[in-house]
Amino acid sequence: MAIWVKAAAAAGLSVMISSVAISAAFAEQLKLGVSLPLSGPASLAGTSIREGIEFAVKQANQKGGVFDQDVKVFIEDDEGNPTKGVTAVRKLIEQDHVVGISGTYVSAVAAAESKVAKEYKVPMISAGSTSSAVTDANTAGDPWFFRAFPGSRAQAKQTASDTLKKLNAKTVAVLYENSIYGKSLADEFKSNYEGIGGKVVAMEAYNPGDKDFYSSLTNVRAQSPSAVYIAGLMDSGAQIIKQAGELGVQTQIVGSGSMMSDKLIELAGPASEGFAVSSMFEPSTPNKHGAEFAKEFRAAYKKEPDVYSAIGFDSMGLLIEAARRAGKPDGAAMQKQLLNMPDFPLSQGPDRTTAKFDDKGSVEFKVGLAIVKNGKREWLPFD
Amino acid sequence: MRAIFLILVAAATLAIVSTVFGGGYAINIAIVVCIYVILASSLDIVMGWTGLFSFAHAAFLGIGAYTAAILGRDFGTTFWLNLPLGMIVAGLFGFLLGLPLLRAQGHFLAIMTIAFQTIVYLVLSQWTDFTGGQYGIEVEPVAGFTTLSSYFYLVLVIAVICLIAIRFLTQSRLGDALQAIRDDETLARTIGMNTKAVKLVALAISSAFAGGAGVLLAYHIRGVTPDDYTVLASASIVAMVVLGGRGRFWGPVLGAVLLTALPEMLSILTDYKHIFYGGVLILVTMFAPQGLAGKFSRWRAR
Amino acid sequence: MILFQQFLANGVVVGSSYVLVALGLTLIFGILKIVNFAHGEFYMLGGYVAVVGTQVLGIGPLPSIVLVIVVMVMLGWFIERAIFVPIAKKDPTNVIIASFGLSILLQNIVLKIAGPEPMLARSGLPRGAIQIGNIFLTSERLAIVALAAVTVTALLVVLKYTWIGLSLRAMSENATVARICGINVRRVGVVTFAIGAALAGLAGALMATVFTVQPNAGSLIVMKAFVIVVLAGMGSIEGAIIAGLALGIVESLVTGYLGNGLRDIVGFIFVMGVLTIRPQGLFGIQTDRS
Repeated sequence: MAIWVKAAAAAGLSVMISSVAISAAFAEQLKLGVSLPLSGPASLAGTSIREGIEFAVKQANQKGGVFDQDVKVFIEDDEGNPTKGVTAVRKLIEQDHVVGISGTYVSAVAAAESKVAKEYKVPMISAGSTSSAVTDANTAGDPWFFRAFPGSRAQAKQTASDTLKKLNAKTVAVLYENSIYGKSLADEFKSNYEGIGGKVVAMEAYNPGDKDFYSSLTNVRAQSPSAVYIAGLMDSGAQIIKQAGELGVQTQIVGSGSMMSDKLIELAGPASEGFAVSSMFEPSTPNKHGAEFAKEFRAAYKKEPDVYSAIGFDSMGLLIEAARRAGKPDGAAMQKQLLNMPDFPLSQGPDRTTAKFDDKGSVEFKVGLAIVKNGKREWLPFD
Repeated sequence: MRAIFLILVAAATLAIVSTVFGGGYAINIAIVVCIYVILASSLDIVMGWTGLFSFAHAAFLGIGAYTAAILGRDFGTTFWLNLPLGMIVAGLFGFLLGLPLLRAQGHFLAIMTIAFQTIVYLVLSQWTDFTGGQYGIEVEPVAGFTTLSSYFYLVLVIAVICLIAIRFLTQSRLGDALQAIRDDETLARTIGMNTKAVKLVALAISSAFAGGAGVLLAYHIRGVTPDDYTVLASASIVAMVVLGGRGRFWGPVLGAVLLTALPEMLSILTDYKHIFYGGVLILVTMFAPQGLAGKFSRWRAR
Repeated sequence: MILFQQFLANGVVVGSSYVLVALGLTLIFGILKIVNFAHGEFYMLGGYVAVVGTQVLGIGPLPSIVLVIVVMVMLGWFIERAIFVPIAKKDPTNVIIASFGLSILLQNIVLKIAGPEPMLARSGLPRGAIQIGNIFLTSERLAIVALAAVTVTALLVVLKYTWIGLSLRAMSENATVARICGINVRRVGVVTFAIGAALAGLAGALMATVFTVQPNAGSLIVMKAFVIVVLAGMGSIEGAIIAGLALGIVESLVTGYLGNGLRDIVGFIFVMGVLTIRPQGLFGIQTDRS
């Protein structure tokens, strides 16, 4: 037994030594990780974000890569599940030796993963998780989880003010998905909207993936609010818009950022006319960097980019640039660079939006509002 | 005694393989393996030894995890108190579910466990004030075991203790009684056995172990969120027991190790691992209905 | 009262789809005694076949329904023969596990082929609301109720007047006696399974015109179908019709008066309650098995 243990330990040691030697020879290659929900209900957004991420990598490698080598990306499916996510992040760091991670989409999973990444001093950049709680958990001045777009607090604040001032709706019924994403947006919306003088007449939760809203909307109709705010994902959002039309709910409908999709207009049909959605990115964006991304993405994938592909593109682009500036594939050096990149352009937000992270790792820019007209979203100018 | 020796050898092998050959990722998987070994073995107490199909094991896992998280949040209790309390609360729920459950017949029993599982999940995700809803609750790491590898040794020791306890249990008079019920309940009743009480005790013990595993999981992820405690998780625990082999001590252990580690090895095939997983379940039930442990012992007997 | 009428109408529409799914399950679960978790995936596949029919092939709604039924009968036939029969021969309890594996397999194959985006089957019916008194509905929703009624009637006729119906009823009474009386249990089994799959597929196809279809569309509805079958009593067709409509209506009322969050929990609480009081199911008969 003792001999066996010794032999095993010796073998293990030699494997470790040789793996150190191998990694030294290739130390210059930049390895980055991705954690996204690629199966399960959240994969709807996950697959779109993945395209944006892969596009950013492809672009970087076409330009000669980083440190004279192609950037290598490892993609893990976290299934939108916290346990799987924690395992995925450990695997990316321990086994694949990544120095930065783009991920993830589900806020609850991002919260669990960010604790692990921080432990290893590997910076993470959100790939769609919106809840402000995850960046709030960062130590001020030393964040390891970054988000290159405004969190739920800023998004909801902007939507609340747009709903009241731009759309002139004095009373609102809120329908929100019972997830961190939906609930944080709905809570922030309510406090902001009431803070500036609006009135929330109803707050109604629904379960992720719900499709039938006739009964909820029947109640909404009875309260006749001047607007309905939906905080949730595209599939349920399309159903709410369509069914509101069928039930004769004659109000302005406002949706959260994840409903910024052409598929929603297709699924909701004519009922989507007049639908307002909070929007950080449009293919027709006035943001010059974003417009260029849209053009190249369209040429490469033969389809329109959406807010998800833009989020993925920015998230991965930031990691690659941070490594390039750090001069070596090292997580701690990259984190320092990320805190000092106010010149790096983002594809989201108004023109000349840059990655100016605050001391909690979040970026603030003005969130736009788009309104569907003749089956197309039209962006209202940023004011 | 041979079994206990084998448990210790297996645990030592796991410890050496994951700490010497692998890094944090391997240790992370080893922790999850230990937790699922406890779960599968404890489910086998009711499934393999008494023939009750339970699709509610992840609910007890969740009850244990949330008990620890809520006690820690509201009363600041530590791991050493939360672990036994998590087991007791889960065991109590198992006992309470058992009262109506054991009156039901055949397939109704399985449906009832599914209903219970779904209710627990919906309560965890919707009773926001108490359970934190989808936000869940944060859990501080166990004092003195804050690093991954030290926590792994803690989990490993607890898993070994659980396995030895389960081994003793199934070899004891209670185990004999359970087996008698599985083989012929009417006969067991005729010879004067209080079959219902025996089954109730088995269910409570099995749930308590699952609750303990839940406490370990909560401290491992350092938090609880409802999505770890779905009917899908329950079904995969059942799958572990079936794949490994029901009513054999090593069956559930083998099934838990395989089904936890397999998807990780498959993640090179990230895109196809679920298809593969589903296919494996069908093929195993077709070609090795007694599980891999059953196949193995038959092969050895030959 | 105006609200109540609308809630009731909503409940009948959703309940009609529950009835179709539960009818298939009550044949498979109640009579063949197969616990098939993949029944929800039959529902989902029916939806996708309808999308293929109406969107890709462009063959119109009615031919698409025929296509759904043909495809699902074939699939049900194949799965019963290739997977469930061989497993049940060795150990019937393992069928649960195999069906769970099948459910994961089908969901993820579809995810790979069709992607996660929701898809809509085109009904070709006029869009927009129809107002009946105080109730708003769409022609598609009315069509679901109508088609469900037609299907249920057809099924009742088949069960009453054909050999398969006769054998089924005999089997649901007592499988052993049925076999002794010369009923070809295997043939009845496969036909029943195929009919059950087709009913689930039909429900999925109808619902895909209103609620769209996604790879995981069947995972919740199969649980509800189990609830309905247990409440209705194993293998009871009439019971499944009543319990399916009742569940749809109760869910709609709960959503309307208590909130959306509680909708999915009521059915499960109800089934726990019923089985606590009546361990043999609502309409079941107490039997002691040894």
